[in-house]
Amino acid sequence: MVRYLITRLGQALVVVVLVTVIAFLILHLLPGGAARATLGKEATLEQLAAFNHEMGYDRPWFQQYLMYVQRLLHGDLGYSYQLNQSVVEAITQRLPKTMVLSLLSTLLAIVLAIPLGVIQAVRRNRWPDYAITSLSLLAYATPIFFMGLMMIILFSQVWPLLPPEAPQGFTVGEVLADPAGLVLPTVTLAIVTIAVYSRYVRSTMVDNLNENYVRTARSKGLSERRVVLRHTLRNGLFPVITLLGMYLPALFSGALVVESLFNFPGMGQLFWQAALKRDFPILLGVTVIISIATVVGALVADLLYAAVDPRVRLRGSAS
Amino acid sequence: MSESTEPRVRQHPTGGERAAVQPLLELRDLDTDIALRRGTVHALDGVSLQVMPGETLGVVGESGSGKTMTALSIMGLLPQGGRVTGGQILFEGRDLRSLAPDEVRRIRGVRMGMVFQDPLTSLNPTMRIGYQVAEPLRVHEGAGKAEARERAIEILRRVGMPRPDRIVDNYPHELSGGMRQRVAIAMALVCSPRLLIADEPTTALDVTTQRQILELIDDLREEFGMAVILVTHDLGVIAGRADRVAVMYAGRVVETAATGELFRSPRHRYTEALMEALPESAVREAGEHARLYSIPGLPPDLSRPLTGCRFAPRCRHVTDECRSTDVGLSGGEHQFACLHPVSGTPAGPVTVPTPVLVEPVPAEPAPVRVDPAAAPVLSVRNLVKNYAAHGRGLLRRTAGQVSAVADVSFEVAPGETFGLVGESGCGKSTVGRLAVGLERPSAGQILLDGTDLAGLAGRERRRMHRQVQLMFQDSYAAMNPRMRVDAILAEPLEIQKVGDGAARRARIADLLDQVGLSRRVLERYPHEFSGGQLQRIGLARSLALQPRLIVGDEPVSALDVSIQAQVLNLMRDLQRELGLAYVFISHDLSVVDYMADRIGVMYLGKLVEVGPAREVVRAARHPYTQALIDAVPSVTPNATAARDGVTIRGELPSALNPPTGCRFRTRCPLAQEICETEPPLAGDRHQVACHFPLRPESVPAPAGTGAAA
Repeated sequence: MVRYLITRLGQALVVVVLVTVIAFLILHLLPGGAARATLGKEATLEQLAAFNHEMGYDRPWFQQYLMYVQRLLHGDLGYSYQLNQSVVEAITQRLPKTMVLSLLSTLLAIVLAIPLGVIQAVRRNRWPDYAITSLSLLAYATPIFFMGLMMIILFSQVWPLLPPEAPQGFTVGEVLADPAGLVLPTVTLAIVTIAVYSRYVRSTMVDNLNENYVRTARSKGLSERRVVLRHTLRNGLFPVITLLGMYLPALFSGALVVESLFNFPGMGQLFWQAALKRDFPILLGVTVIISIATVVGALVADLLYAAVDPRVRLRGSAS
Repeated sequence: MSESTEPRVRQHPTGGERAAVQPLLELRDLDTDIALRRGTVHALDGVSLQVMPGETLGVVGESGSGKTMTALSIMGLLPQGGRVTGGQILFEGRDLRSLAPDEVRRIRGVRMGMVFQDPLTSLNPTMRIGYQVAEPLRVHEGAGKAEARERAIEILRRVGMPRPDRIVDNYPHELSGGMRQRVAIAMALVCSPRLLIADEPTTALDVTTQRQILELIDDLREEFGMAVILVTHDLGVIAGRADRVAVMYAGRVVETAATGELFRSPRHRYTEALMEALPESAVREAGEHARLYSIPGLPPDLSRPLTGCRFAPRCRHVTDECRSTDVGLSGGEHQFACLHPVSGTPAGPVTVPTPVLVEPVPAEPAPVRVDPAAAPVLSVRNLVKNYAAHGRGLLRRTAGQVSAVADVSFEVAPGETFGLVGESGCGKSTVGRLAVGLERPSAGQILLDGTDLAGLAGRERRRMHRQVQLMFQDSYAAMNPRMRVDAILAEPLEIQKVGDGAARRARIADLLDQVGLSRRVLERYPHEFSGGQLQRIGLARSLALQPRLIVGDEPVSALDVSIQAQVLNLMRDLQRELGLAYVFISHDLSVVDYMADRIGVMYLGKLVEVGPAREVVRAARHPYTQALIDAVPSVTPNATAARDGVTIRGELPSALNPPTGCRFRTRCPLAQEICETEPPLAGDRHQVACHFPLRPESVPAPAGTGAAA
C-alpha cells in the first residue's frame, strides 16, 4: 500500500513537471512577451529590455524555467503586475469561491443523476427511460452559455424569482450569505453534469442488472427493490467514482463559461481574464494547480475504487 | 459424500404408489414465450412434468431444447421478454401462476432453491459470502445478524466447506470455482427448501470437481428430504444421479421414464440418436474405428409455427404421418411422443443402448494409419513455460513464477492423433499454443519435421508455420465478425502469399467441399452460422495451408452432442484423406478416447502418463489418470458408482508454488515419502511418472486385437 502510494506519487510528479515545462514553453514562445504586456504600448525599447533583464526574461528558457521551479518549490507562483498581487494571493482569493460553486453543482448532480439513472435502468425501454433519455440528450446538446442565458431570461426576467448575477462577495462566507444568487449558476452547471452522470449510471446499471448474480439474488425471493438497491446499485456505482475523480480538476479550474456569464469571481474568470491580458504568471500558476488536481484526482479515484470494491485491493501479492 | 461401492439403488415409488403420493411439483401444459426484437420464440410448448417429493428428476436436452427455460419458468426468473403464456405450475398443490407476486416470491425464496451453471458469475462479487448465504434467512425468516451468521456457517459446513467460520467473511473471488458452487448450493439450501433446481450445476467445473458437487447434491437431497430437478446436457451426469429422466427437444418433453429404463431401452427416436452420437457408446460398441452416428441438420427455429413431430426433419425413421400429426406423450411409466418408437421389447438388464451404426464404416477400416517408424511431425522436448506472476490489484508486483508447463516431452507421428487431457490449469492449452508458435517456450525445444522453431526467423519461420495450424474452441470468437467467410478463408493464403486470386478462390472452393459446406456460405458473416457450422469454417481455415499437423484446443467442447459427432466424424475423415496429424486437447476423456491413438495426461504442468489411448483409458497406470477416468460420468447407469477406483479430494494446488517432487502427491491416496522426489516418466509404450504405478506396463498385444478388447 505504502509502496503503491510512493510509486503513484512519483508518477504524478513526473506528469506535473512535464505539464509545467510544456505550459512554460508555450507561454514564452508567444509573440509580444511579458514585458510589452506588462508595461503597455508606450514603453520604450530600453524600458522593455530593462524589464526583461530584471525579470530574467533575456536568459535562455531553461534557465528561466529552473528559476521558476525554484520559486515554485518555495510556494512562490510569481507576481502578476496586472493584478498587482502575487499569483498565490490571486488564486487563494478565488479558489474557495470556485470550489463552493463546483461542489454544490456536483452534489446536486449526483443526488439527482443516480436515482434518474436507476429509474431508467429498471424501467428500461419504457416511457420513463425514453423521457429521461430525451431530456438528458437535450441538456447534453445545449451549449452551456445558451442554457445559462435561458435560465437568466426565464428566472430573473420573465419570472423575477432569482438574481441574474452570482454573489459578488469577497470571501466564501459572503458568497454563502447570498444563497439566492448561487442558484442559477449552480443549476446551470449541474444540468449538463446530470445528463452525463445519469446516462452513465443507466448503462452500468443495465449491465449489472443483466449479470448472473442478480438472477441469483432474485432466486432467493428478494423483492425487486432489494435486488436493485442492495445488490446492483453498489456495483453499478463503481465506475461513477472514476468519473468523479476526473471531475476533481474542474473543481479547481472552475467553469469558465458559467463564471463569466454570471460574473462570478472564481478561477475560471481569473484564467479567462489572464488569457485576454497575457498575464503569464497567472496563466502558468493556474495551469500548475489544475495539473496537480488532475493527477491527484486520478489517484484519489483509484484509491476510492480500491476502498469500495473488494476485488481491487492494493496489496503486495496474490495470496 | 459417501463412498458407496455398491450400485446405487433408489427407492422411487412404483406405478401404483405414485398415484397415491401427491407430486411436489407438477407442470401441466406449460407454454413459455420469449419476446425478442425479431419476433417471439415459443421456448416451451405444452411441457408437462411431475416431480415427486424426495426424487431426482433429470431434465436432459441440447441447447435450445427448453430445459433451462423450464427451470426458469418454475422459478419465475425468465429473462426479459419471457412470459409463461399457458398451463399450470402446481407446487405443493397450488398453481404458482394464480398466486400474488409477493407470495410467489416467498415460495421461491423459502420452498425452492436454485443453483446456476456458472459459479464464477452467479455470486455477487462485492458481498461477503456469509451475507449472501444468509440473506434469505434475514429476508424471509427475520433472522438477526448474529443468528444469520451462525446459520450461514452451519450450512457452509454442511456443504463441505473447509473452515466455514472464516469463509463467511470472504468475497467470492477469493474462492475456486468448485468452492463457489458449494457456496451457491449453501445459499439455495439455507431455508431448507422442498425443491432444489440445479441448472447445469457442474458444466463449468472440472470432472473431479463435478463428481464432488454431484455427490454433494445427492447427499443433501437425502439429508434434507428434498426433491431435485437436475437440468443438464450431459447424459452421463443424468445416468448416474437421476431417478427419472425427461428428455426435451425443441421446447417439448419427448420422452420420460425411470433412468435405468430410459438408458436400457430408449423409445423415442431422438433419445436413441442422441445416445448413439456419444463417443462413449461408439467406442464401447464398435471399437476405435467406429463412426459416430451424427444427427443431420439442426433443431427447428422455435419462432416459426411448427406442425408434427419436431424431430421429424432429422429423423431416420420419419414418415409423412410424422410431419403432419402432433403426437403427445403416451404410455404409463415410460412415456414417449413418437409414432415409430424403438421396438418396446426391453433388452436384458445389463445391456447398454444398442447403437445402430447407420453410417457405414469406411471400406478400408484404416488399420495401420500411423507408421511408428516415420519421423515425427511434431517433437516436443523438455518443454518449459513459466509466466511471471503479478500480484492482484493495482500494484501488480511480480510475485513469482507460474509454472504452466514443466519439462514436457512427447512426439506426434504423421497421421497420428495425440490426445492431451487434463483439468483446467494443467497446462494443456499452453502446450498447444507453444506447439503452433503462438508463444515462445521458456526452455526446451519444439521440432516441426525435425526443425527447431526457435532457430528460425522471418520467412523461414513463416514457412514452417504453414505446417501447423490451430483450431479453437470458440470459433466465433476466433473470427473477425466483420469479415465475410471468403475473406476469412483467403487470409491465411494471402499472408503466406500462396497463388494468385484465381488459385486462392479455387483452393477455398476445395476447402468448403472438404468440410461439407456449400459455396453460398462465402458471402455470409460469422454471426449467421451455428456452432457446428462455425467449427467447420474454422477447420477449413486451419486446412487452407495444407498443414501436416492441426492442434485442436477443445474443438468440440462448446458443441451439443449431435453436432459434436458431426465435427468429430469430419475431423477423422479429413485425417484419413489428407494424412493429417492432430494434437487433440480436451478436458473430455470420452471424446479424447474416441479420437486419439495415443493419450498424454497432464497434471499441473507435468505429463504424468503417456500411452496408447485404449490402454491409458482402460488400464491407467497413474493414480491421477485413474481418478480422472473414475470421475467421468458414464451413460451406463450405475457405472459411475460401481467403479472401484481412486477418488481425489481437495483442490488443485497453485501453479505458483507447485508441490515439490511428484506434483500430484498432495492429493494422491498412495503418496509416500519417496514421492517428494520427482518420478521420471518411465516405460516403453505406456509411460508413467509415478513411484507406485497402479499396474505394470502391459505386454504389447498382437496387432489388431488389443484395441477393441
